Amino acid sequence: MGKHWYHCFLRENTREAPPRCPASLLNALLVGGVLLTLFAFAFSRLEYDFHWHGVWAYRSKFLQGLGMTLVISFFSLFVSFILGLLFALGQKSRILPLYFLSRYYVEIIRGTPLLVQILVFFYVIANAFHVHNRYVTGVMILSLFAGAYISEIIRAGIDSIGQTQWETGRSLGLTRFQLYRFIIFPQVFKRILPPLAGQLVSLIKDSSLLSIISVSEFTLNAQEVNAYTYSTLESYIPLALGYLVITYPISHWSKKLEKTFAYET
Amino acid sequence: MRLSIRQLTKYFEGKAVLDDISLELSDVHSLAVIGPSGGGKSTLLRIIAGLLVPETGKVAINGREIPVEEEYLRRYRMTIGMVFQSYNLFPHLTALENIVLPLQRVHHMGREEALSQSGRLLHRFGLSAHGHKKPALLSGGQKQRIAIARAVAIRPSFLLFDEPTSALDPEYTSEVLDVIEELREERKDLILVTHEMGFAKSVADHVLFLDEGKIVSSGTPSEIFENPAEKRLRVFLDKVLKY
Amino acid sequence: MKKILFWIGLSGLFFSGCLSGEKDVLRVGMELAYPPFEMTDTNGTPAGISVDMAYELGEYLGRPVQISNISFDGLIPSLKTGKIDMIISSMTITEERSRSVTFSNPYSKAYLALLLNRDSPVESVEDLNKKGRVIAVKKGTTGHLYAREKLPSARINVFDKESACVLEVVQGKADAFIYDQMTIFTQWQKNIKTTRAVLEPFQDDFEYWGIAMRKGDPKLHGQVNAFLLEFKKSGGFERLAEKYLSKEKEIFESLGIPFFFSP
Repeated sequence: MGKHWYHCFLRENTREAPPRCPASLLNALLVGGVLLTLFAFAFSRLEYDFHWHGVWAYRSKFLQGLGMTLVISFFSLFVSFILGLLFALGQKSRILPLYFLSRYYVEIIRGTPLLVQILVFFYVIANAFHVHNRYVTGVMILSLFAGAYISEIIRAGIDSIGQTQWETGRSLGLTRFQLYRFIIFPQVFKRILPPLAGQLVSLIKDSSLLSIISVSEFTLNAQEVNAYTYSTLESYIPLALGYLVITYPISHWSKKLEKTFAYET
Repeated sequence: MRLSIRQLTKYFEGKAVLDDISLELSDVHSLAVIGPSGGGKSTLLRIIAGLLVPETGKVAINGREIPVEEEYLRRYRMTIGMVFQSYNLFPHLTALENIVLPLQRVHHMGREEALSQSGRLLHRFGLSAHGHKKPALLSGGQKQRIAIARAVAIRPSFLLFDEPTSALDPEYTSEVLDVIEELREERKDLILVTHEMGFAKSVADHVLFLDEGKIVSSGTPSEIFENPAEKRLRVFLDKVLKY
Repeated sequence: MKKILFWIGLSGLFFSGCLSGEKDVLRVGMELAYPPFEMTDTNGTPAGISVDMAYELGEYLGRPVQISNISFDGLIPSLKTGKIDMIISSMTITEERSRSVTFSNPYSKAYLALLLNRDSPVESVEDLNKKGRVIAVKKGTTGHLYAREKLPSARINVFDKESACVLEVVQGKADAFIYDQMTIFTQWQKNIKTTRAVLEPFQDDFEYWGIAMRKGDPKLHGQVNAFLLEFKKSGGFERLAEKYLSKEKEIFESLGIPFFFSP
């Protein structure tokens, strides 16, 4: 122990996961086992009768909800990335109104709860413009919400590219557009991949809040099944597993993609 | 190359980095700029490269004044080859693509032609085997030679080097200096900011000594290195040549 | 390994500590979002008819009362997992709920009503059972269950909050909001320009409210039923109606619509 006790905890600065070896596998199983034991213990202490058949009858409702969550997340991801890109560029704009619009957008969205945004956007703003489709509105709200975070991710990514890259690009006579297109963004994209994947995972989970405007997604459907069957845990455990099934491949895939894009050794 | 500098001043955060510099040179092919760090060498080079705009004063090369308006500046930069101290290759592109990109995008050369021209340059600098590698896999000397190839590829009207060997391990210095020497022998005009006094002496046909934002001495290599008239220059040379 | 066992032991202590409470306290769950039955006063203290009833019951049983504010669809699960001992939350006795919990004898009856958008073509509950009709309901309420069972052709949008359902109707996003008579009446009065109300009963039978308890506790069950009988006899319900509902009662009587809070 002593002064440098943390040496026992931290591996050296490396991007690699621990090596695949018997010790590593044993540890993975051991930790998994402990976690399972903990859960099993907690559930055993619970005075609760599980009635899965009631919930099983509603399995198609779960699947429909899961599908809707995927569809909403997909469109929101697409739109939020475009919004994020536009507003990141807005923050880099020489045109002051664009700059301030982008700053206000980011600060307002990041500084207020999504719940309030959904209510205000759906019942006030969309209503004023006669947009009554709660699915379209839902995608728009989620996109605006995630877009603010993505714009900050992209902005931070752009800022992280060293001044020398800009200077070199300029010295070669690239136009500003070409600089962004060929020099900056390809490097930014690689760097922001991990936070972007994290944002996508958040987006999928945040979409559950659309249940308050009765968007029939995964969470609302599980809540409805709960309301019909009064089987809370039986309704929510599949919900948690369902989200895990969607989000785990994303983080896995992003780690793979990260490796593909790695050019610094 | 004719170089004309008139009353050039550049400030950084209220401090004059270049302080009212004037200079007239004609028929120079390779100009070396020496002097202590912070003396204004790199700033002068960046103004000549069109990367910085001075507060006052004018610079003209071969009778053409360097513009100040961005779009004209960009077109001016297209005609110059600049090599930086820390190579500044684009890390996401292969060595070959680093050379191809400006040819294709800035000089609108066809992809095939750009590829073959870049390939020829790589071959000439002995880098054919490394064209497909990302910069992270290359040594410092290889990176700097790629950077020089990138600068030469666009057929610039002159080349600028900003301490091209300062970031290199000593073992790689000579391979980079050899390339520069070779370019000089082809009568390519070049301006070189350097700490390599021996190299400046052998390569340059004119040397400037900059200190505290002023040109303290200007002359042929023998005037500068063998008979330094200025006290500050003598002190500087004593220091750098001590070991 | 020793350390891990230590942590498991510690978490065990923690969990058991959470589960055991003071046995004597009567923990009553309700959603404090249904005035004047379950609400909070301006200081945030629970108040209303159900709250008063809970305290009367506590006094009758000689047990201190602790009120827990729980969202409506979380009440039965909370009861089942032992977080609370009973629900007094204007809860209608239904067959489905009776499968999960035991209800006391009914202490009040009520019925559903409709809040309609002013421009909706809907005139009665029969008009709602058509393609293209949109109904807003609050999750887990009898309005929700009624719509699901009796109005299968309509589109049913489910919300967490009563206020969202009202907004849906006000903005014409939904034709109707199905909820209890008194809330519909109050919301109609608040949004008189944009809404209409159908206050006459349309169900086959009244909805009966009961106190919900965990299954398998006949002692408490018997005590609660005895209390309700006693409370009724002593005019307790009249006192509460007088305290909380006098104005509403008057208006309903003048409109000639049967008033629902009548034990």
